[in-house]
Amino acid sequence: MTKETYSQKRPPNQEGLLLEYVHQLEKHRKDRRAVHLHLSTLSPNNRREQHIQTAVSNFEPLIKDERGQMFVLKNSDLFFVFEETAKLQTEAVVQDIRFLFDDDPLFAAQEKADQPFATWYDADKDYDSILHLVQGLAQTEEKGQTQDRSRMDARSKLKAKQEQGEPLTPEVLEQVITALVRADLSNLVRRQFICQVDTNMVPEQKFSELFISIKDVRETILPKVNLVANRWLFQHLTETLDKRMLSMLNKTDSISMSGDISFNLNVATLLSKEFLSFDDNIAASRRGSMTIELQKEDIFNDLSAYVFAREFVKEKGFRVCLDGLNLETLLMIDTESLGVDMVKLIWDPELVDSGEDAHGHLRSIIRQRGDQHLILCRCDDRQAVDFGHAIGFQLFQGRFVENLIVEDGRRRELLKLQRRIERGSEESVTQSRPDD
Amino acid sequence: MAELGALSTSGVVDATTSEESLLLERLNRVEKNPSGFYAVHLHLSELRQPNRQPHYLNIAARIFDSIINNYDATLFPLNNADLILVCQNVPVDDVDSVIDRVCSLFNEDPLTVSHGGSFEDQFSTWYDLSTSEDFAVLFKLATGLAMDLEKKLKEEELNREGSQESKGNPLSPINLAMINQKLQEMQVNDMVHQQTCLHLGTRGDGRVMFHENFISMSELKKKVAPDVNLFASPWLFQYLTETLDRRMLGIMAERDFDLLKEPISVNLNISTVLSRVFQNFHKAVGDNTQKVVVEMQIIDIFSDINSYGYARDSLQEMGYQVLVDGLSPTSLQFFDPAQLRSDLIKISWGSEFESDDNNRVAELREVIARIGKDGVILARVDTETAIKWGVGIGVSRFQGYVIDKLVKVIRGVKQH
Repeated sequence: MTKETYSQKRPPNQEGLLLEYVHQLEKHRKDRRAVHLHLSTLSPNNRREQHIQTAVSNFEPLIKDERGQMFVLKNSDLFFVFEETAKLQTEAVVQDIRFLFDDDPLFAAQEKADQPFATWYDADKDYDSILHLVQGLAQTEEKGQTQDRSRMDARSKLKAKQEQGEPLTPEVLEQVITALVRADLSNLVRRQFICQVDTNMVPEQKFSELFISIKDVRETILPKVNLVANRWLFQHLTETLDKRMLSMLNKTDSISMSGDISFNLNVATLLSKEFLSFDDNIAASRRGSMTIELQKEDIFNDLSAYVFAREFVKEKGFRVCLDGLNLETLLMIDTESLGVDMVKLIWDPELVDSGEDAHGHLRSIIRQRGDQHLILCRCDDRQAVDFGHAIGFQLFQGRFVENLIVEDGRRRELLKLQRRIERGSEESVTQSRPDD
Repeated sequence: MAELGALSTSGVVDATTSEESLLLERLNRVEKNPSGFYAVHLHLSELRQPNRQPHYLNIAARIFDSIINNYDATLFPLNNADLILVCQNVPVDDVDSVIDRVCSLFNEDPLTVSHGGSFEDQFSTWYDLSTSEDFAVLFKLATGLAMDLEKKLKEEELNREGSQESKGNPLSPINLAMINQKLQEMQVNDMVHQQTCLHLGTRGDGRVMFHENFISMSELKKKVAPDVNLFASPWLFQYLTETLDRRMLGIMAERDFDLLKEPISVNLNISTVLSRVFQNFHKAVGDNTQKVVVEMQIIDIFSDINSYGYARDSLQEMGYQVLVDGLSPTSLQFFDPAQLRSDLIKISWGSEFESDDNNRVAELREVIARIGKDGVILARVDTETAIKWGVGIGVSRFQGYVIDKLVKVIRGVKQH
């Protein structure tokens, strides 16, 4: 038999299988136990394939005797579900593996911080927490697969090309820019609301972000080109999109300018003549209802230009929002000294497990800057809003929020209808229609 | 709004219709009945060069719109970038608030440090034109400026032939494709230069930390695109660096790392570190990874922090040292570089550090405290004062023009 590394042997999605297994376990949970080995906390040196394989092989006898089932997770963690009778044997195996990594510094640090090497579960008593944990793992993994960082090897490049079109090259970029300058983009402008969402999941619209849908640009203008394949070329392209957006905002007939809005711009655009003429053409009173969203990499590309532009637009009355932060960058960047009015944090299910420290940081930002400062964006599901509420977020944006708005609209329609019916029945009583 | 003299793109100004001569004319009229008139001179020509760009000045001048539209006031944007406001009976507080706003635009510029009603305000000067003393001073100043301009225009006319081509066309997608193609094909070996990062000991002795290898952009520009301004778009330039990375790694991979006596550093994009080209380079480096420092730029890091973390971890795991480059005095107030968990960070020396009572220095001290002084390199040091200053706050690793000179001296001493 040829020797294969563990990753090749490993079925594609253990997290999914584990979830399925745990669902089935519900009926057979009596006399079953589980152990979660946190190998992901090892330092990278100790997390190579052979280490994981060695750890797994310690369980082989138990697996062969069909007394337990092993799941090797993407992050190198092991999840082992076994019969009550194999408890002592399993404990011994876990102890052996613990010794194997005795010298790992990260490991030692984790244990010191009361993060045990292994977490033990009683399938009967702890079924709910097992299910919750496994659901989380499966969700993270599913997301991870779609976003999997593309090591830029030939295979992934080929695959991307087949799925998303030819990567953008300088030659094609010029064509795209020319096409964008001429095309009518008004029907490609999308709107997404930033809402205050209460605990009953009722949304209240605060303002809406206007953006040009890149997916639609691609489909309508250059179906065969992957516009985001190279981030630098794409970033250059956004400067053209900025200018189109500004000119559309100036033509009040093409986009509904009603209400408070936000839109993305580059710092360079704020200092361009296009922005000055946009600024000349809008009523002074409108500026206060407009928020300009800036990307962090753009800001850090030229901080003096940013500081200049920020002072200029804030002095004009615009509000400024820092877009595109994840937990790591949010905790690293001093958003207060950047002088932005609002900050957008991108929702990621991993936020839930990011630890008390991180949660504390988020809470303190909200405490210090108020609950209208931090926006949780790209909320695709309810978990995002639930998490946000637990931390103290008030403002949310994303597909889930859009759905809430639709639902809310429907509910209001129904209420109206109900009232009309009630009124109708009152009238019918007065008209004494027999069959009502 | 009126066309602003200093901002006209052609650079050609007629001496008789220049803002300077219009200012003189205005002053002549004011002199007849100067009651209630005053002027404010904003010394924007003293700003650092990057802050004196025409579009910045244009925006600064716009801040005065509210005054000009509502009062009897005229703004003269002069050819040297200075602004002079002449007005009558405008509440001083109103003008003050406008000047504060202009000043805050240039918050990051050392010029504005002194602003704020202090005794030595270098940002603005006020003239009460109803007093003959102040009037005379300003009138003399305006006359001088008008004469300077006239002289400058004459000179420009003489030099016009020569000055046309210096700036060049901006880098655009069209010439980018051409330049990129050339970069892939041309010989670049002889454009690779080295600059030494030195660890200065307490007794003035120097130890080489690494030699940074880089491709000289000015030589490259001369060879591939003499008529193109490569830095016009930061994003397109960054795109070019991805090609440069591949060329650089190709050249480096030909070296025998076993024989390398002192460590080297190379600048790479994160995408390059994660690519196959780097794997080939890594094969050439072999067991000598501790002799190689990989420098990554802050703009690249912030555009994909997750990839950075991944690249950093794999580099460190393989034994390379990771260096974060591209930090400026300004950037330290906005984020904590210690959280990037690199082995080294490189901060460019800037004049912001020079004045004593400012926050930039305090911020740098904090960074040094968090990262440890062994992890901080002060780069672009071009005067000995900068080194002394750095040593004074605990930095011992330097790179820059003066260090190059110092290395030559040390080498010379060793040879004798």
